[in-house]
Amino acid sequence: MAERYTSEAIELPNAGPGAISRADLVFYGVDHSSSSFCARIFLDKPDADATTPIDDPSYAGSFSIFGHGGCFGGPGHCDVKERDEPFDLRPPHQLTPATRTVIVTDHIKRLLVEGSSDTFTVTVVAVVPGDESNDVLTLRHVRLLSYV
Amino acid sequence: MASIGVGAGAGAVVGTAIESPAVNVRQRHSARRLTAGQLGDLRRAIAAAQALPDPDERGYQHFAGIHGLPLPAYCTHDSPLFLPWHRAYLYFFERALQDLVPGVMVPWWDWTANVAAAEAIPAAYGDERDPDGQPNPLAASPIQPGGQRPGGPAETARAPRLADAPPLPSSEWIDEILDLGDFLDFSEQLEQVHGGVHVWTGGTMRDIANAAYDPIFWAHHAMVDRVWRLWQLGHPQASPPATLLARPLAPFPMTVADTLDVSLLGYDYAGSTAGAPMRPA
Repeated sequence: MAERYTSEAIELPNAGPGAISRADLVFYGVDHSSSSFCARIFLDKPDADATTPIDDPSYAGSFSIFGHGGCFGGPGHCDVKERDEPFDLRPPHQLTPATRTVIVTDHIKRLLVEGSSDTFTVTVVAVVPGDESNDVLTLRHVRLLSYV
Repeated sequence: MASIGVGAGAGAVVGTAIESPAVNVRQRHSARRLTAGQLGDLRRAIAAAQALPDPDERGYQHFAGIHGLPLPAYCTHDSPLFLPWHRAYLYFFERALQDLVPGVMVPWWDWTANVAAAEAIPAAYGDERDPDGQPNPLAASPIQPGGQRPGGPAETARAPRLADAPPLPSSEWIDEILDLGDFLDFSEQLEQVHGGVHVWTGGTMRDIANAAYDPIFWAHHAMVDRVWRLWQLGHPQASPPATLLARPLAPFPMTVADTLDVSLLGYDYAGSTAGAPMRPA
């Protein structure tokens, strides 16, 4: 678990801003086994943290995780096991990591208009409202999907 | 989406495309615009359900426990079944309430309403007491012993409006989501909106294991269901993928296909914002 995550450099679309009809940041492998939280997304702001205001120009949106808040079963109850055996018709484990999509079309267009770089970074900052720890963030990778 | 807004303010255009395709379809209403009679029925139904003992499958504790604790937790999140499962959940809960108070309907909590922060939770759910001075059964609920976290509370609580909580969704944001043309895309975006409201409400609502014990959970999910209904009206040709339609929605004896037409489930969403004041003069 971590409080924040910054991606490696991601390539911007090889298209003009007018050609982009939609752009999504897709976050894969997001853990939702612990506390509920809001994940704030900042572009090209690797030093962003929970104190960075959401009216900062680098803020691109957020996603929320409605968390399970811990395990209440016996040993192994919350261990996520792949169910890829062909006759296993059970649904996926409830704690199978989630995917989140944040629509960032205008923000990607802005980066394209600015044209200062061919790449950008994504920083995700977890915020648990109240006094609880923000150390709740686990995700596998982020991908930019753009549509023309 | 100009004809299918989600605003609840006076004069807002809401659901003009809603038709009445079946006899005896009942209307769910905004929690902010319940008549005194509707609100009284709702409070009586919830109180009666809360008064049933824990193992009674007609009772509030039974239904709240289906979502999380006690195990097994049946709730479906981070899944394309999110909307159908919660529609079935609301349907069976509402039917159980109607066995106790005929005609009662679960209202929706319009979190997009442009109201002062202190009024973001409708008074029907926020007031600690009803007009007769009795405890408001919509403000909190007991949590059965088997549903409590180890060392956790025995009653629901809320902690809304914390400074670092995500803001409640705006009607503009919902309108953008309503414009999405693909069910899976729409469902994922609406589920994110839903999660943010759970986080905003705080307390019990922020906890999957216990969220459904808070009476406002049901109004929150009625709003989610309503937004799905509005999306269906705006995209009559769109549907969940065919591979999902026969999927069961355990523990309910329904499939995804069974949930798609709310008129066949006997309810719809009020197409007018007209109504009597919620508070007696």
